[in-house]
Amino acid sequence: MAEQTIKKELWEDIHKDNKDAEVISRPSMTYWQDAWRRLKKNKLSMLGLAFIFFMVLTAVVGPYIIEHDYSTQQLQLANIPPKIDIYKVDDENYFYMHAEYKLFAVTADGQLLDRIKETQNNLTDRNRVYTVGGKEVLLDYKYASMKPEENPDGIKYKIFIDGVEVKPSDKVSNKEFVFGTDALGRDMLARVIFGARISLLIALIATVVNFFIGVLYGGVSGYFGGQVDNIMMRIVDIINVIPLLLYVILLSVIIGSGLKSIIIALGSVYWVGMARIVRGQVLSLKEQEYVLAARTLGASSMRIMIRHLIPNAMGPIIVSMTMMIPSAIFTEAFLSFIGLGVNAPLASWGTLANDALGGLRSYPYQLFYPSLAISLTMLAFNFLGDGLRDALDPRLRK
Amino acid sequence: MGRFLVKRTLTMAVTLLVIITITFIMMHAIPGGPFTREKQLPDAVLEALNKKYHLDDPLWKQYVDYVKGVLTFNLGPSFQRAGVTVNTLIEEGFPATLKIGLAAVLVVIFVGIPLGIISALKQNKWQDGLVMFIATLGVTIPSFVMATGIIYIFSAKLNVLPSNGLTSWKHMIGPVIALSGFSLSFVARLTRSSMLEVLQQDYIRTARAKGLSNNKVIYKHALKNALIPVVTYLGPMIASLLTGSFVIEKVFAIPGMGKHFVESVGNRDYTVLMGITIFYALFLVIMVLIVDILYSVIDPRIKMED
Repeated sequence: MAEQTIKKELWEDIHKDNKDAEVISRPSMTYWQDAWRRLKKNKLSMLGLAFIFFMVLTAVVGPYIIEHDYSTQQLQLANIPPKIDIYKVDDENYFYMHAEYKLFAVTADGQLLDRIKETQNNLTDRNRVYTVGGKEVLLDYKYASMKPEENPDGIKYKIFIDGVEVKPSDKVSNKEFVFGTDALGRDMLARVIFGARISLLIALIATVVNFFIGVLYGGVSGYFGGQVDNIMMRIVDIINVIPLLLYVILLSVIIGSGLKSIIIALGSVYWVGMARIVRGQVLSLKEQEYVLAARTLGASSMRIMIRHLIPNAMGPIIVSMTMMIPSAIFTEAFLSFIGLGVNAPLASWGTLANDALGGLRSYPYQLFYPSLAISLTMLAFNFLGDGLRDALDPRLRK
Repeated sequence: MGRFLVKRTLTMAVTLLVIITITFIMMHAIPGGPFTREKQLPDAVLEALNKKYHLDDPLWKQYVDYVKGVLTFNLGPSFQRAGVTVNTLIEEGFPATLKIGLAAVLVVIFVGIPLGIISALKQNKWQDGLVMFIATLGVTIPSFVMATGIIYIFSAKLNVLPSNGLTSWKHMIGPVIALSGFSLSFVARLTRSSMLEVLQQDYIRTARAKGLSNNKVIYKHALKNALIPVVTYLGPMIASLLTGSFVIEKVFAIPGMGKHFVESVGNRDYTVLMGITIFYALFLVIMVLIVDILYSVIDPRIKMED
């Protein structure tokens, strides 16, 4: 084998370009920066996030901005819908006839002025006479009690101004109560906004409570492993089979209905899913080298768990929390709906929907707005949760 | 298989005992006795009532009696309605609940799964968009909103469906749609995502490569594997359908068990609450056991010994 000596001229300076080859050209991103970047690309998720921000903002500052209060009752203004049929008397005078045969003076653009008192109320003939702008308005509601064969069109009433039958001249939106009023004359807009406050608050607290219990339980179970894990997970298995909603109901019955008991009931049973997720994460993470390194350096189990394991398991935890919020809102609405909700005059979306059930046929708008609020919020959290799941999944990281 | 069955049945027995115990403790944690009324009952009457219902026995004896009662399916009397036992309430209410529950399960399986399959096979086409749109609505609209919406539109406005009771097949339509809405949407989404995942697998490519017809690949190879996560969801689904029927029965005025339960919540009829809870739990635990066994039969990867 020929011996080769390295001569001096074999050496040469490395070219400048080659030096740069090792430099990382893309800015290095942390896990969270990357997740946020990917979440921003998901339009639906950002829409959901924006809606949630809007809802939270409304819930926090809304009650101070709108002019009506959620609990002030004005019985004479009960059940006024958000869209009202108005009748024209002359250019100055308009009135609106309420479904309970009460007359209100309104402006042409839907501003409620005052209730008009009847000048005559003929109970036997089933009609009422009012005087509006100097003209005589006759409200004849005898048709409502007629048999179907006498009244084939199903007319309920007729309105005559100076003896001439009139039809509604216009349908305008209610300027005073944008969402209408409920059966006790409370402003629906104020109540829906206040309902957002209660519903979101319950969901948030229940989720935070579940987060702490679940993380602690799952963390301990996963970290210590072995027999401890075995026993703790058997308990979780058992709880998992129990229909939890029934126990939430029983708990609320025992503690008594109200804001506090709903939070306790929701917070105490729904941590099982969270505990499972955390356990699974901790089980795999605790085998990582950095945990070994931390232990070698003498870190306590507590420190390893809080500083090393939980932060690294945060992705799936956050996804599961985002999914827990809508289910808490859902459960709260469900409980309120079967009569275990917050106590009046407090209102949550569930109690509002429940209150509206009785008058559904006549006043469907009272159910519509709280239901819309629940559905949109659930939709927003679902979109956000789906997006977060993709964004926080390290396997999809580019 | 035998060992697996024994083990699962034992776990089920323990679960049931835990449920009975928790329920019993809850029943006795309620402040005031079952006969606490606004108008104080005379002491003699109270004593006689306590004696009649064995409430003067020591607590452990009441517990043992209660467990015995549950085992022999005797859930005790109602404390609010004279002469009515929890058993009679269950007997008269359960058929109606079971009827809409079963119908809802069938709808979920025979509509939800096909929708998910269609959606996966036509990924990113309009069929997919439509199914996913409906499924998203289904999981976001609460069942009571759906139920009241159905009543308002189809009963009050269009007058094509009856709004209350459960006497003909027409009465079933509304409750079943409202009850199955959430689970149906969830199953459709689950089937879709699991089908999409399975279609990416190597064995599907192998099946196609060896020249199997498209139908055979999809229905014989893909579907079987794609349905495994769906089967897992069947257990929780039965739970959500059962408890979901509370509000549905309330809204549609169906004389089922859920209605008794909600009424008992209203008038604080504790024994009925407890009895129905235990009955529900029992039913659910057995269903979950059946689903588990079914699951291990379908998916041979699951070791029976575990």
